[in-house]
Amino acid sequence: MAGRRVFISGVGGELGTLTASLLEEEEWVGSIAGIDADPPRRRLMRTDYHRIPPTEHDRIVQTILQFDPHVLVHIGVWEPHSRAAPDLAKMLTDQAATSILGAAAECPSLESVIVRSGIEVYGRGPGSLSRPAETAPLSPTCQWGRTLAAIERTAASVGGRVGVTVGPVRFAPVLGRHIPSPFGRLLRMPAVPFRAFADPPFAVTENLDAARALVAAARNRLSEPVNVVAPGAITALQAARRGGRVPVPVLGPEWRLVTGLNHLAGAPVPPHVVETLSRGRLADNNRMEELLGTTPEYTTTDVIDQIYGWPSVIRREARVKVA
Amino acid sequence: MAEAGRVVSLPARRYEREVARLSKGAGVLPPGRRLSDEPSGVVDDWGRDPGVVRRAMRLAGLRWQFSTGGATHLPKRTGALIVVNTRRFALTTLYTAFAVSHSVDRPVRFIGRSDSVPLGPLEQRLGALLDHPDEVFGALRGGELVVLGADPTARPREAGLVDHTIVGAAVAAGVRVHPAATTSSPFNRFARVEIGKASRPPRTRRGPLVELELADRVRDDIMFLLDQMGDINTGTPLDLLPLGGLGGGR
Repeated sequence: MAGRRVFISGVGGELGTLTASLLEEEEWVGSIAGIDADPPRRRLMRTDYHRIPPTEHDRIVQTILQFDPHVLVHIGVWEPHSRAAPDLAKMLTDQAATSILGAAAECPSLESVIVRSGIEVYGRGPGSLSRPAETAPLSPTCQWGRTLAAIERTAASVGGRVGVTVGPVRFAPVLGRHIPSPFGRLLRMPAVPFRAFADPPFAVTENLDAARALVAAARNRLSEPVNVVAPGAITALQAARRGGRVPVPVLGPEWRLVTGLNHLAGAPVPPHVVETLSRGRLADNNRMEELLGTTPEYTTTDVIDQIYGWPSVIRREARVKVA
Repeated sequence: MAEAGRVVSLPARRYEREVARLSKGAGVLPPGRRLSDEPSGVVDDWGRDPGVVRRAMRLAGLRWQFSTGGATHLPKRTGALIVVNTRRFALTTLYTAFAVSHSVDRPVRFIGRSDSVPLGPLEQRLGALLDHPDEVFGALRGGELVVLGADPTARPREAGLVDHTIVGAAVAAGVRVHPAATTSSPFNRFARVEIGKASRPPRTRRGPLVELELADRVRDDIMFLLDQMGDINTGTPLDLLPLGGLGGGR
């Protein structure tokens, strides 16, 4: 078991960097390598980082084949309006998934593929379950959900063809310090929109909990989907009140205006966030302990309190005054 | 002197520790949590708002004077499905959920949430679940008490058909199914909920027949409980009038 090679796609993102730093402490992990278009957010001691944009298929394939991983952790997904506009995010995510999962299929030592997914894959159409479990059918109703469902399908097809286990880890919206999340940005705006007469509940995941779940999935060679969701739930109105923000009731047609105004204010709101605010987003996390052997440390309320706890500007005195 | 510094663990402390352990271990709020401990200003895993529920229960107290019997039959921590007889427009599942919740000091959910605005979100805040076996299965597996209404009938001493797919969800989740008889009247405030012992399927089955047989058995058990409650029974059309509500507050 010891000395396993782990490859991380998307190691430059906050979640990828956290996952890599946690994997470095695992005894069963021998060597770690990762790729991303951007360098990791903090110093990694044992991880070899390769700076490759997702469009360079040949370099991606060559790098992965050379490393020949036992475990592939695919975190290289771009949430719309997190760091890229929705169309670009979809294109980058599709390209990365195709080249990385395709290359992994060619690796003779590959044993397991862990895929970062989201609870958006369940969709929030009419009559959809309030709190879907892993067995619920996938019927995404937003672009981000469809992208994630497509990655799951690609990974499952690769796994089936080469005979390795595939474990999709479906996260509730991941929030936390330094996470470029459009949902987190929207909640931190001075005024927070909520759907009047509905204000449905949603759950989130803290980024460290998400990284821990990915590491546990890799350690346990997860072979089936698992929902990773912080316990508890909250509504947009309750979140705005906790953060001392001005709640703005929105009936329906004004969502377009609200998203436009937010875009101008620097917090663009992608459709899956509008869906979360207007239809809610919960998922059953009862199988987390059974499948991963770990549970979230932070509740949804803790995570919301954390995002409002960040100071806007941190002013620190200079250690040496030179002027 | 060494005895002086010893910490004595009272049962209450053990309960708190157990709740904390369950909370940490299960990844969800502990199933055995007390109604009175629920915080305000947040919703739970299923979107139920304790603050709204408390206000609704106070409001319901103006309309109904509940009395509940047989609550000791219910499990203290794990989930259970409670099946009640219903009458049209009587909001039976709602007041049963409130009555049982008040009696056992645990959140109780009920089946039959609309999926449209504004009724659906309001019902969700009150603890309603969608009428879908997967939704009910998730709640029961999570250790929740869930109230299911049988099909409504015109006669107060009868119970309608019980949805066997929901009973199947309880069987799949490995929880008990309890019959409960309810009486209430539009002309007075008395409302009584009598919970029976868990129903058992008449014979052991390996296939889905168990849920059909268990649903029929639950219905029979509810009618037996209704007979025991001794509501009005003249054998005339007077029986069709909702004059019952016997036992409530008496």
